Formats: sequence, C-alpha cells, structure tokens
Amino acid sequence: MQAFRPAVSRLAAVSWLVLLLAASAHAQATPPNITGVWAPYRGGRGADPALAPPPATPLVLKPEYAVPFETRRKTEAEAAARGEPIASGAVACVPYGVPRMMSVALYPIEILPTPGQITIIAEAFSEARRIYLDKPQLAIDDVPPGYYGHSVGRWDGGTLVVDTVGIKTSVPAYQNMPHSDRMRITERLRLVSADILHDQITIDDPVVLEKPVTYTLAYRRMPGYEMVEFVCDNNREFIDEKGGTHLKVRDR
Amino acid sequence: MRGRVRVAALFAGLILVPIPARAHHSFAMFDTTKRVTLAGTVTAFEWTNPHAYIELDVPDEKGTVTHWSIELGSPSILMQGGWKFKDLKYGDKVTAIVSPLKSGQLGALLSTITMPDGRVLGNGPLPPGGRQ
Repeated sequence: MQAFRPAVSRLAAVSWLVLLLAASAHAQATPPNITGVWAPYRGGRGADPALAPPPATPLVLKPEYAVPFETRRKTEAEAAARGEPIASGAVACVPYGVPRMMSVALYPIEILPTPGQITIIAEAFSEARRIYLDKPQLAIDDVPPGYYGHSVGRWDGGTLVVDTVGIKTSVPAYQNMPHSDRMRITERLRLVSADILHDQITIDDPVVLEKPVTYTLAYRRMPGYEMVEFVCDNNREFIDEKGGTHLKVRDR
Repeated sequence: MRGRVRVAALFAGLILVPIPARAHHSFAMFDTTKRVTLAGTVTAFEWTNPHAYIELDVPDEKGTVTHWSIELGSPSILMQGGWKFKDLKYGDKVTAIVSPLKSGQLGALLSTITMPDGRVLGNGPLPPGGRQ
C-alpha cells in the first residue's frame, strides 16, 4: 500500500502533464479570434504607443521608376495647390483593391472566417477580398490581373500569413507606387493585444523595387458595430481633360 | 466666392479647419485655410455616398439669395461624429462654417454646423474627449 501511493501520485502527475501538453497543443492549433469589425488604429491621443503600428521601411524604387514617380508627385502637389487635385481612381468611385482597401481613411473592415476561407469586407466602397486557406498559391501568370488578385493564407501559430499575386498594374499600391505584374504581397495578421490587430504588409516587386517595402496597419476591435452600406450613387466630383478634380455645384 | 455674394466671412489664414479623412478624393479643391459662415435655409439634405450634401439658400442683408452646395463626409464617417440621416430636412435653418472651393464656385466643405436644435456637429468623428 505504501509503495502504491507514490505510484498513484506519479500517475496523477503524468496525467496532468499530458493534459497540459494537450491543452497547449490545442491552443496552438486554434487560431485566434479575429472575427468581426475592425477600425483603423493610428495611435495619437489616448492611444497606447506600444500598440501603434511600427514605422514603415523606406520605399526605394529602381531609378527608371523613381524619376517618373517623383515627377508625378511634384505635378500632383502643384495641381493640389491650384485647387485642381489630380484625380485618383477613387474620384470616379473605382475601388482601391489590394492592398489599399485594407486602410481607407477611417473606414472599418470586417473579417469573416468560414471553413477554408477568410473573407474581408471593407466598408469604403463595399470592397470584398477572399483568402483561401491552406491551398497552394497559383503561378502569377495563371491569375487574371484584377483588383484583388488571388490570395491564399495559412495560420502560422497565432499569425495569419497571406500571399497575394495578380494585382492589375493599373491598381495603385502602397503610396500610389507603380508596380509590375510580378508584384507579390505578403501579409502577416496577428493580435498584438486582445483587441488590437496588426497587418504587416510586405510588397515585393523585383521589377520596380530595389528592395521590398514593409508597412504595418493597426486596427481596434469594434464589438457590436454594424457595417454601413457604401454605394457610390451620388458622386458629384468630376474629372476634367487634364485629370483635375472638380465639384459639381448646383444652382438650386 | 463671387463679389456679389455677401456672407459673414472669416478669412483666417493658416488656421487648419478640421476636415474628414481623405477617402474619395483630395480636399485640395477647397481652401481649408479659410472659414466662411453661411446662415441659411436647407433646400436638400442628401445622405449619400461617396459624400453627403447640404444644399443651402443663403440670403444676404438685402434679401438676395445665393445657393451653396456643401460637401460633407460619407454617412459612415458622419455617424461616427453623431450625425443621423434624418438630422436635417427642407426648410431647416442652420449656420454652417465651411471652407469654400478655391475655384470661386459656390461649393464648400463643411467644417462645423449649428443645427436647428442648437447642436453643433462637425464633419467627421468626434475628437477624443467628446463632442465638437
């Protein structure tokens, strides 16, 4: 009997260890809950600096792209000073696409995981993108160029890693940088606290960029928020022959 | 602004007017260093995307009426600032502080507005700490 008691204790201890290990393995296998609506979290007054997005890496274009890019920026600044800002696609209510739809002004996004897929809806322009989980990525040349391309994702521990290719070259990317059809976007979404989500976005384009550029978007959870519809049916802005933006005013 | 338009105008150079975050277009059409006060009567309130609009008849001291189209943020952004889609209707009297178009046309970007019930609303989310 005396010899039996330590054996029971050892058995109990081992059982607890097995249970703990199993629970730990389960915790690692269960993705964090990122379902729901998320609003941009840009730091500033009242924000926790530890949760604000880290600064972006420099955007370094190859010289043949950098020169026209800078020239265009100068032209844009001059047009804005005249009060005739050069129109972006958004002025004509053309959507932003990936990756810019992930951060449009103060509009939230809604993340909807379903088996095998995560769908993200952006409130601005009601854009939707679909991320197919645990599937191999297609070859770039097999993806019809578009605004959302083809995205696949996988959970790496608590981080959702998303790979996107097939963004049309006319769809402006980060900071309106030009890009080629070789552009590849890698996103790493992870909770940095219970209710703050980061999306670290790396854009690689061996044709246009000297080196990949990485920037991070931060979001705060918006429990109970109901997404507002956004149908662009009263667009009073128009674009002149030089590309300048104007507002239609009414006489009455 | 056209010369014949008489409005209470406060030209406060270099004062930054709170403007909604850019989503649909640049706000460089508007002179955001200027503030113009428009007291008038609402002829339409359009709760629409990509922007909401207030159409406003503004009489001068002689009774001559000019008409202004005032651009607001989108419904989503306005709701974050306390607006509701029924907040204004035809015939309401309001006083709006706006940034006019640089072109001189009678269009403007809303900064703040005093509503018929006395509330003062802005053109975006509430600032940290409360109502504008």
